[in-house]
Amino acid sequence: MSGRRLLRIFCYSILSVAFGAALFAGTITKYSYAAQFRDVPNSPPSAMHLLGTDGLGRDLFTRVIYGTRVSLLLAPAAAFLATAIAGILGGLAGLRGWLTEKVILAFADLSLALPLLFVLVALRALLPLDVSPIFSVIATFFILGLLGWPASLRVVWAAVRRLRQSDHFLFATALGYGKTRLLLCQVIPNLRPILLAQFWISIPLFVLTEATLSMLGLGVMEPLPSWGNLLRGCENFSAMAANPWRVVPLFVLIVTVICLQYILPTSGETA
Amino acid sequence: MTAWILKLAQRLLLLAALAGVGGLICATMVRFAPGFGVDERELDPRLSQASLEAIRKEHQLGTGLLSYYGSYLFGLCRGDFGTSTFLERPVGELLKERAPFTIRAVLLGLLTAWLAASVLALLTVRFPSWLLDSSATAFTGLLIALPAAVVALLCVFLRLPVFAGVALVTLPKLFRYQQNILAHASAQPFVLAAQARGVSRNRILFRHVIPVCWHPLAALLGVSASMAFGAAIPLEALSDSPGIGQLAWQAALNRDLPLLTSITLLVAGFTVGINSFPKAAHQEQS
Repeated sequence: MSGRRLLRIFCYSILSVAFGAALFAGTITKYSYAAQFRDVPNSPPSAMHLLGTDGLGRDLFTRVIYGTRVSLLLAPAAAFLATAIAGILGGLAGLRGWLTEKVILAFADLSLALPLLFVLVALRALLPLDVSPIFSVIATFFILGLLGWPASLRVVWAAVRRLRQSDHFLFATALGYGKTRLLLCQVIPNLRPILLAQFWISIPLFVLTEATLSMLGLGVMEPLPSWGNLLRGCENFSAMAANPWRVVPLFVLIVTVICLQYILPTSGETA
Repeated sequence: MTAWILKLAQRLLLLAALAGVGGLICATMVRFAPGFGVDERELDPRLSQASLEAIRKEHQLGTGLLSYYGSYLFGLCRGDFGTSTFLERPVGELLKERAPFTIRAVLLGLLTAWLAASVLALLTVRFPSWLLDSSATAFTGLLIALPAAVVALLCVFLRLPVFAGVALVTLPKLFRYQQNILAHASAQPFVLAAQARGVSRNRILFRHVIPVCWHPLAALLGVSASMAFGAAIPLEALSDSPGIGQLAWQAALNRDLPLLTSITLLVAGFTVGINSFPKAAHQEQS
């Protein structure tokens, strides 16, 4: 078994644990993420609170588990939305060509040129800052999904163009395949590995972007935890030095993103 | 010559149009955002109805979107970017004050990142070894896994300047792209032929591989500028650096439409401009 394969199995195992913890958060921990233990704020790890409590007396372990649920389950949803948009627009641009292609690619170029984080900050400003936590989560990841498509679109468009010029596509056209049949039997099956790769590439990107947005106060709102707003605890260096276990959310985030990077298919596997 | 001037003019027009569309899309969305134009002073019970009306009128920014665009573009032609509703100062003055900080940080950061990434990528291609490749991949993998805001906090903690943060955020992505581009070029048949003819490794790298990589590397320049600008927002906001990134963050938090529109226009113009250079060079050659 090759080293890369072993590493991948290891990463899959870690991700399975993380996804499992996210799905069964309610079973793993008995506390609510918003429950406050006002008599023990900033307490160190103990049998009652495995990772201690934060400044408001909330169980940090519970918040990390529920934060994992928010970040790790909604980032794939946003990645799915972004890949779907890229697939539809890239397919349209590649198949129809000419004006449709020019307009879509110009729009993608403009979106690519603008820094994603900048547009996100500007778009997030559309929503009032005092929205409900659930709405802020959905809005944050929805905006991420809506804006994350341009890079994937370029890849899909290039693949569709290559496909259109391929012999088997020409053969299918010569056989009199209709547009729908061409799309269903030729385009979608050939694009599947590329779309899948784009989907996996987008997940760590969205996890990290959500973290930065939430740290800036423009992402997921309290008391709902996400990896991003849990990292806001890192802003106070003296508190971090006194309570080093507060680094755990950052550690979980880094390990998960590294694992997500290692399971990405290589260019040879995508081809 | 005339054809070249025409091409340049066409490109500049396209640039202006793209940047304008970006800014105006942003303005449209902010203008229709729920709660836009609501002032905290409206909650003051001591104010009379007439005062409340005056405050609301102050925030209307014209009767509708089209009149807002019209007056904004008319002002823009005269060099007037409007007035920030949050900071109550002319936007042009704010941009002029803060742009040098961001431009300096972005340029220095990009220069550092490009130098470091190029050296690292060249080393891994010139001296291919498991140890070097794994160390470089692990180092850059760790940096990629850090959110830009955490890098900003690290910079504050280690008392590093903002440009170092920009370099740390862009370095890993630049290294990976450059390594891929160089590795792809090194696997070309002409490189194999040169190796078979006994050409030295250094000569192959500098005379055969690198020249092939110029175009994709030039295209990477535009992408890296966009990445660096994006990184400047959390870096400046969290390290309290008075640049455009911090201004954009404050404008977003305070829903300052004139400021947000002008910053979008400026950033769009800058990044679209940088992106168009490699494209123009590529078209010129082909």
